[in-house]
Amino acid sequence: MTDELIIADRKFGSRLLVGTGKFSSSQVMAEAIAASGTEIVTVALRRVDIENENDDMLAAIDRDKFLLLPNTSGARDADEAVRLSKLARAATGINWVKLEVTPDPYYLLPDPIETLKAAEILVSEGFVVLPYINADPVLAKRLEDAGTATVMPLASPIGSNQGLKTRAAIEIIIEQANVPVVVDAGLGRPSHAADAMEMGADAVLVNTAIATAAESTKMAQAFKLAVEAGRTAFLSGPAAASPAASASSPLTGFLRDDK
Amino acid sequence: METLRINGKEKQFQDGLPATLAQLLEQLQIDDATVVAELDGKIIERAQFAHTSLSSGQAIELVRFVPGG
Amino acid sequence: MIGPQLHSAFDIKVILAENRLDDGCEYWLGQIEKTKPADVERALSMPAGHYSFEKLLALVSPAATDYLEDMARQAHQLTIQRFGKTIKLYAPLYLSNYCINSCRYCGFNKDADTQRTRLTIEQALAEADILAAAGFADILLVSSEDTKFVTVDYLTELAGKLRGKFSSIAIEIYQMTAAQYAQLFKAGIEGVTLYQETYNRAAYSYYHPAGPKADYDDRLEAPDRQARAGMREIGLGALLGLTDWRIETLALAEHAHYLMKRYWKSHISFSFPRLRPAFEVRPEQFKHVVSNADLARMIIALRLCFADAGLILSTREGADLRDHLIKLGITKMSAGSKTNPGGYSRCSDAVEQFQVDDTRSPAQIAEMLKSAGLEPVWKDWDKAFIED
Repeated sequence: MTDELIIADRKFGSRLLVGTGKFSSSQVMAEAIAASGTEIVTVALRRVDIENENDDMLAAIDRDKFLLLPNTSGARDADEAVRLSKLARAATGINWVKLEVTPDPYYLLPDPIETLKAAEILVSEGFVVLPYINADPVLAKRLEDAGTATVMPLASPIGSNQGLKTRAAIEIIIEQANVPVVVDAGLGRPSHAADAMEMGADAVLVNTAIATAAESTKMAQAFKLAVEAGRTAFLSGPAAASPAASASSPLTGFLRDDK
Repeated sequence: METLRINGKEKQFQDGLPATLAQLLEQLQIDDATVVAELDGKIIERAQFAHTSLSSGQAIELVRFVPGG
Repeated sequence: MIGPQLHSAFDIKVILAENRLDDGCEYWLGQIEKTKPADVERALSMPAGHYSFEKLLALVSPAATDYLEDMARQAHQLTIQRFGKTIKLYAPLYLSNYCINSCRYCGFNKDADTQRTRLTIEQALAEADILAAAGFADILLVSSEDTKFVTVDYLTELAGKLRGKFSSIAIEIYQMTAAQYAQLFKAGIEGVTLYQETYNRAAYSYYHPAGPKADYDDRLEAPDRQARAGMREIGLGALLGLTDWRIETLALAEHAHYLMKRYWKSHISFSFPRLRPAFEVRPEQFKHVVSNADLARMIIALRLCFADAGLILSTREGADLRDHLIKLGITKMSAGSKTNPGGYSRCSDAVEQFQVDDTRSPAQIAEMLKSAGLEPVWKDWDKAFIED
């Protein structure tokens, strides 16, 4: 029995999604992505700098091997996010989008109201929407109702590497979700990723921790192993701890001589 | 003087506008394979770049995929 | 791993069928018998109040009987944490015992030669006044499948008139369409209780040979319709004694889990109707009698799997047993119930649906609760909050 990650109508063997930002060079990025075993990489959209034509960092990514998942980072409201999504779709023909609406430039925390608004519009226009949100269980259900393909709650703010600060809320989201839950943002160490997978997350998305490591390729490999370990642990069930013994039975003693 | 507003900035074309969007990209030395273009708010399919004519005063957005999380 | 595997469609019929919970197959019984103490200990070390199939299977297995006091303590503690030291009180109001179904276990089945009564709106209101005077704010309208008289329009009219007297009105009525439930919701009915009776298809066919209730799928999918119509409270249950209670508990839990995931704004409750003596029906006729210990364990096990589910106990059970069961996870109980239409005002000698065993009055029940350290809660909501 395979344990594939299924998002919308596609199956993936890897439960590690990788972001392409913050790498020191396109070569390092390409090697790290390969080492991670990922099948989905996120990219952003930016205006071309017409004064300086840069290297196209993404030329290094083999579009046949990886699903390029455009994000709408930079969008500060639903309209901007929708516009960016349509631009992205025009470029690739793929209708998948990571919906990211972050008006706050300090912590890059997602705006729940604009995210829900944008999700509803994008779903109605045929997009496969993967929304980035704070770990808000009710918002996650509202987005699911709106038809998003996943929910992507943050563990801690983007780039903070603080791990599962929102653990309790993510547990609730995982318990209640009918779509895959991808823990995204703030996973600073492979152990954080393993922890998220042990909790029952369907996948994780990692960028900063890999891109800014001293050796990105090794770190990518570590995350790959951590995600696999966490998932295997989740599937094998938890170990038993022994319950307290009790000598008397104040609550159930009445049943003893009973029929 | 003919102008185009490109990515929010006015650009003047002393020798006249490029005839098509494809020619504009060539003039700017932008590889059109990875670029998305919007003309006056409308997305232009890449296949149409060579067939899309330009006129003075239009607003063009040129956007491409870049690394991001 | 044991436990339900991925199901191909998010549909309760498919979930039950693919996991062999509706066909009486021996597999799960075999797993239950094979459960070891280590499996029970693992189940008990999982976070209390969260559901998993394997956990529940371990808790209903014979191996769990040695851990009953531990389980009870966890269930008691969890219930107090989530619900406080309180028990909600409600009263059933039986509207009619005319019936077009032929359920083999029921004193109201259409072939039973018995006195039948239906209450007019005015008579029902008179009964309701007695309940309101006794302090009840939460009322459950009950009827057999009397589709000629207890119609959706009848219930709509009655609910409209009861709205001013009761803060919470629920129904335990034959299965309806989504549109009918929506109409009742608009009329002020916020909850529905509907027992699948048995999740075993073959047993279901046997016990419900005729009438609209014979349609297993329609009954199974009624809670979906209730939820879609906006019903806030959805009550599930199996009639304990028809088939093996452990399989029914597993199916019931899967049903609840499915509804909770799909209709996240509705609140699910479980009831525990146990076969009782009724007119022309004797429990000894049925093979799977559920003992007091089994009933206690079922209540505890469901509480340990569903931290926030309502667990409801009616007056089918005797006073002494109820007094003990309320410490094991129960959140709501009826008091002073009459299960024959007109029973409160004694305006008829109609037959009861089942013999009530706890005959204490609401005031006596309230006293009992207080001496057990629990506060009786009569009223938990007020429509004034949401109405103009």
